Amino acid sequence: MSTETSQRGVVGRLRASPFLSQLLSNRLAVVGLTIILGMLAVAIYARVTLDPGALASSRLGTEIPDRAPPGWTGPAAFDQHLFGTDSAARDIYKRCLYGAWLALQYGTITVGISTVAGVGLGIIAAYYGDVTDNVVMRTMDVLLAFPPLLLALALVAIFPRELGLWRAVAALTLVYTPRFARVVRGAALKVLEDEYVDATIALGAADPRVLARHVLPNTLAPITVQSTLNFGLAIIDLAALSFLGFGATAGTPSWGLMLSRGVENGLLTGRWWLSFFPGLFLAITVLGFNLLGDGMRDALDPRMREAID
Amino acid sequence: MASKRFVAKRLLLLVPVLFGVASVVFAILHLAPGDPARVIAGQRASAEQLQQVRRELGLNRPLWIQYLSFLVDAAQFEFGQSYSISRGAPVREVLIDRLPVTLELAIYGQLAGIFIGLPLGIISAVKQDSLTDHLTRVGALTGISVPIFWSGPLLILAFATYLDWFPTSGRIDSTLFLPNTWTLFGTELPLTGMVTVDAVLLGNWQAFTSAVHHLFLPALVIGIYSTALISRMMRSSMLEVVRQDYMRTARAKGQGAKITLMKHGFRNALIPVVTIIGIQFGTLLGGAVLTETVFGINGMGLTIVTAIGALDYPVVQGTVLTFALLFTLVNLFVDITYGYLDPRIQQ
Amino acid sequence: MEATLSAWARPRLWLVGTALLAGVIVGPAAVALLTLYGGGAAFGTRKAFALGALALGFGVIGWSGSIFAGRGIESMQRHLDTGSDWTEADSRRAMGRIAGFGGGMMVGVSVVEPLV
Repeated sequence: MSTETSQRGVVGRLRASPFLSQLLSNRLAVVGLTIILGMLAVAIYARVTLDPGALASSRLGTEIPDRAPPGWTGPAAFDQHLFGTDSAARDIYKRCLYGAWLALQYGTITVGISTVAGVGLGIIAAYYGDVTDNVVMRTMDVLLAFPPLLLALALVAIFPRELGLWRAVAALTLVYTPRFARVVRGAALKVLEDEYVDATIALGAADPRVLARHVLPNTLAPITVQSTLNFGLAIIDLAALSFLGFGATAGTPSWGLMLSRGVENGLLTGRWWLSFFPGLFLAITVLGFNLLGDGMRDALDPRMREAID
Repeated sequence: MASKRFVAKRLLLLVPVLFGVASVVFAILHLAPGDPARVIAGQRASAEQLQQVRRELGLNRPLWIQYLSFLVDAAQFEFGQSYSISRGAPVREVLIDRLPVTLELAIYGQLAGIFIGLPLGIISAVKQDSLTDHLTRVGALTGISVPIFWSGPLLILAFATYLDWFPTSGRIDSTLFLPNTWTLFGTELPLTGMVTVDAVLLGNWQAFTSAVHHLFLPALVIGIYSTALISRMMRSSMLEVVRQDYMRTARAKGQGAKITLMKHGFRNALIPVVTIIGIQFGTLLGGAVLTETVFGINGMGLTIVTAIGALDYPVVQGTVLTFALLFTLVNLFVDITYGYLDPRIQQ
Repeated sequence: MEATLSAWARPRLWLVGTALLAGVIVGPAAVALLTLYGGGAAFGTRKAFALGALALGFGVIGWSGSIFAGRGIESMQRHLDTGSDWTEADSRRAMGRIAGFGGGMMVGVSVVEPLV
């Protein structure tokens, strides 16, 4: 009973938008949002101004030195290679900027597909109930019981290497879908318990219409929170798979791959800039999503606020 | 206390779990693109050579026979020889060699999480919305946001490459050699393979300091991660429990708020946390894979990553099954602890 | 005694049996599909058999996992008041179906394997 009222309360609050004001009064969440918007601006800027083909191809043999430290650390001109160059004499600064585009792009795709699949499965499970519900949701439960990165590693082995980053996206989609399905099913069940849905069904509304009109809109709030929380995870896991060699193909300016090259070429020789900058971008972006996600969850979940007086 | 029957029933369940995992592993290997015979015979092998390798591997037998013989082999932990490690090293030996390495790392990580993460989470919950709470929360959030494959390299650069306080990789000084057995009251016993433990068992002080010295940075990296994960979970679990009705009743009776929290909250908050620690152990194993890759530690994680990359199927089978066994055993242990904390679930 | 045993066994056999039968039928169909669209009969049978093994293994893991962590998860759900109606029995039944289906698929594929 108590959960039901709180769920309705959530939906109501989101509609009247104290959810937003609650969220905006959370300073950490605002910091997170700012970081994300900033990173988005960087990503779009990089996508518009930089040529990915040029960023991927080696500059060895030109006058540009390879593994050169950031311009401002030495006597070289201030504006030359702000973050230094990598082992193929490519400019790390530009590659980091383009990495933002790749991270957000593939992160969006991963979270997007998982959300759509999870929403579909969750709503179907809640609506049809019985055997369908059981088979779908218990399958999701078993998938959830596996350690995420290890499951992703096992799945990555199934897909052909030529897929590049798409291989990582495919594996991670399977890892994340169950989380969405679970959240959506829970929320959808609450809506279906409401009498007005029963009434619409009695009036003869077809299944898809009930689902689209009544069930889906009311599950939007929990889905949004879950997406935000998983966005950070998706970006970090995509980078991790690239780092381990199961994601971006050689030369791609993805943060994970740059870090992997940095570990190979820079650790023992002290070339810190090879791994420092890509990792910094990655960590800041992930922190942004985690801050916002945490804030959203607090704003959404009223049980948390009254916990200790 | 957990009854013997309760424990026995759960130990018996290991059999179907491993049977299931073995089937999944079989499936993954056959769904994976690429031909094992091609990997062994090499890219330039002729059709006859390929056929020959297939016969040797038994890949031309009916599928159900391949499946059954795979299950029989898996039950004995017999996966044949590696395609890539030291020219056909037996997979079982590779596993025996590398499992303790990962275990050692994971145990230190888990200990850090329990001894630092748990108290931090509790303090954070008790002093909700205080400065301490905010600092802990932001710290924990940063801890889970900073990837291991960034914090690891940075720590190596700072403390190993520049300051030279710690070695950059490896587990023990290359000049030190540990024997394979140790003696207790005149009987020879095998060593654990975990260098810090072995050094203590052998009473070799020099080896112990060297092992700790080598393990410090990797353990720190995984420890930070584990601490952040556990403190977050402990905090929210604690807040959930304190919110519940009987806690209000206890407070209404006039006991001091903090004493109430300790008495009722802690034990009840531990129940979900114990379960979570078990599930989180899997995340920690994932962290170990990354940590081993960064620090070049030859454990299960680096082994599986290399094996997947090299299409070394026997090693992939062995490592996946070992990971599954490890994860299940930890959760079994957690389940028994759980039964102890909440006797109601034992029936 | 016998009556109680059959009362215990019958619904379970029925549940796994129907799933098994479905698998036996789907198995060869999957072989046909994969052979036509994948590339060759050997490829088709291998992948179809592997899919069956995947379902079987998954179901068995889930089945034992439900008993394993069942009561623990149930009481954790109640404890956390998540509004989830997860029960061990439902989970076991669902997993029995999946495992039965997978096993049936493997049987079906094995039957047609010598023919293709």
